[in-house]
Amino acid sequence: MITSMILFPLVGFVINGLWSLGSARSGRRVPPSVSGAIATLAMAAAFVSALVARSQLPSDGAIEVECFRWFTLGTLAVDFKLRLDALSSLFTLVITGVGTLIHLYSISYMSEDEGAGKYFAYLNLFCFMMLNLVLGSTLPQVFLGWEGVGLASYLLIGFWYREEANVSAGQKAFVMNRIGDLGFLIAMFIGFKYSGSLDLAVIEKAVLPGAVATSFVLLVFLACTGKSAQIPLFTWLPDAMAGPTPVSALIHAATMVTSGVYLLARLSPVISQSASGMMVIAGVGAITALITAVIACFQRDIKKVLAYSTVSQLGFMFAACGVGAFGAGVFHVMTHAFFKALLFLGAGSVIHALHGEQDVFKMGGLKSKLPVTFWTFTAGWAAILGLPPFSGFFSKDEILHQALVSRSGSGWVFGILLIAAVLTAFYMTRLYLLVFFGSPRMEKSKFDHAHESPAPMALPLVLLGALSLAGGFAGEPVHLPHPEAALSTPAWVIMIVSVVVAVLGATIAYRRYAGGSASAEPATDVFRIDAIYSRVFGGGLRATASATGWIEERVVQGLIRMVAALTDLSGNMIRVLQVGSAQAYLLMMVIALVVMVLYFLKGMVQYGNL
Amino acid sequence: MTAFEPWMLLVVSVLVFCVGLLGLILRKNLLVMLMSIELMLNAVNLCFVTFSKMHHLLDGHLTVLFVMTVAAAESAVGLGLVIAMFRNLRSVDSDQIQLLRD
Repeated sequence: MITSMILFPLVGFVINGLWSLGSARSGRRVPPSVSGAIATLAMAAAFVSALVARSQLPSDGAIEVECFRWFTLGTLAVDFKLRLDALSSLFTLVITGVGTLIHLYSISYMSEDEGAGKYFAYLNLFCFMMLNLVLGSTLPQVFLGWEGVGLASYLLIGFWYREEANVSAGQKAFVMNRIGDLGFLIAMFIGFKYSGSLDLAVIEKAVLPGAVATSFVLLVFLACTGKSAQIPLFTWLPDAMAGPTPVSALIHAATMVTSGVYLLARLSPVISQSASGMMVIAGVGAITALITAVIACFQRDIKKVLAYSTVSQLGFMFAACGVGAFGAGVFHVMTHAFFKALLFLGAGSVIHALHGEQDVFKMGGLKSKLPVTFWTFTAGWAAILGLPPFSGFFSKDEILHQALVSRSGSGWVFGILLIAAVLTAFYMTRLYLLVFFGSPRMEKSKFDHAHESPAPMALPLVLLGALSLAGGFAGEPVHLPHPEAALSTPAWVIMIVSVVVAVLGATIAYRRYAGGSASAEPATDVFRIDAIYSRVFGGGLRATASATGWIEERVVQGLIRMVAALTDLSGNMIRVLQVGSAQAYLLMMVIALVVMVLYFLKGMVQYGNL
Repeated sequence: MTAFEPWMLLVVSVLVFCVGLLGLILRKNLLVMLMSIELMLNAVNLCFVTFSKMHHLLDGHLTVLFVMTVAAAESAVGLGLVIAMFRNLRSVDSDQIQLLRD
């Protein structure tokens, strides 16, 4: 079952990929509905396999399937082995389940697009790689998936490659991820050196010496900051919104960006060995959650708000991992996958209805025009705010609770997350009010033409809405070891606090934006992080380049010129001798001969031979 | 008849060789240069014969015969070249023949 789960998307990728390659040759375009149906069926089959695999899973065990020997290096043999346990099973269900819905949604979202075949091929490739990532039983396999999803993400961000901005957004994502991948690779080497194996089951149990554990944790976390868009490598995610909206929902909200949390949860026994590493993770997670929530309050683009919100929610998850509550982090991965995919798909539906308009200040009053989108978006909104009984309430509350009471948690992390939660409520309510309430601020014809999306788009919205509503009752889906509690604050206090906080943020936004005639705010890049990066790293690179350019010109080329000049000089000196007269050469020859004869004669006289 | 002492012959040989060498270096006429080469060859021949006689060996005599044969061939080729050169350049002056220098 595990093998078939991973093979279905691959088959879909191969069929769609070859077909659209062939059709590019022959000039006939692939009908989007057919290739979309193939891709969706592949994903649905994978989802069914994942469900069956889940039902076969022993309660606290794992299923392993050995596929083939991947490679042998000296004494190290790495098998291609799939391993399903509770954690990876949850991820496979989210990937294939949400993936299926998003594939279905894409059929109608991409129905006008010429490259639909290619799109679905990439989307299936992504799911295949993502399943590799979560099912891989060795670090190289996880790395294969890790790189594979990066590739698919790159391809899909730059999917509309005719616009240069999209292409450079894809490149930005790829390059930022490469920085993280370096951390992954080095962490893999450290894990191998100290545990003697690349198998995750062995590395998990490894006991690393103090400093090594810390560096291992920090390197793994560096990889996570790349893939999961945390400070300092988060700036690619907002730009990744250049891709089609379903891609943002699937890759950049629900699945790929959570692979960092997966990795931390997977390696949690090792991660917990380094208290300082955990502190860094918690701190970075919390600060990311806060900073990006602030930025999200100042965005005008509906997808950018959601993108920064995703980064912020990922910060919550990392903060949870950092205080040792890996289970709470994974729980939030699941609920976030539901409601953030829902919000993105809802945003896609709005954008679709308004023919590509993404500015929230040019929306408004869409409540009656798009009823399905509105009601499902409401569910997503309530879930991300953390209003009970929506799913986000359970997971966010768990994170806040653990941040406060866990032994590795602290009031600081809790406080920062609380402020981030207020801001989350603020920017989401702002977005919600600006899009659906008030008076329409777009041209009248656009408003009149706006219509609810067709059924293939509405169905995923409804299903995800239901999951956002009810998904939290499942409770922590994976039982990872809980952190020791240092405080005994009862859970209900935190629940009340988190609800109060959400209501507070929403009220502020309501006061400000409910008037209906919201005046447009300029979109501001609050912390100018992109500008700083381009100043520091771009400028640094340019400075280094010009310095090395100077060295190249003056030193390296100078040396070469010196060699040339020396050759030239010696040539000119010898040239004097080359008079061209045979007799002159003869004279030189005779003189040389005489000198040589005299020299040898002198030697012979000295040694008494003569 | 006074027998020549070997050293006298060797002195003559050295002198003739030097005359030939100087002639080759100093004279500009190609024909004279060829003749100088012949002088040097004959000086060497004299040397060979002298040593051969001193050591009572036949090798020197044989070598002289070889040298004379080769010298004949060489001067035939050399003269041919000089004639060809004269036809082309209307001169047998070695200073005029510096085509490779430019």
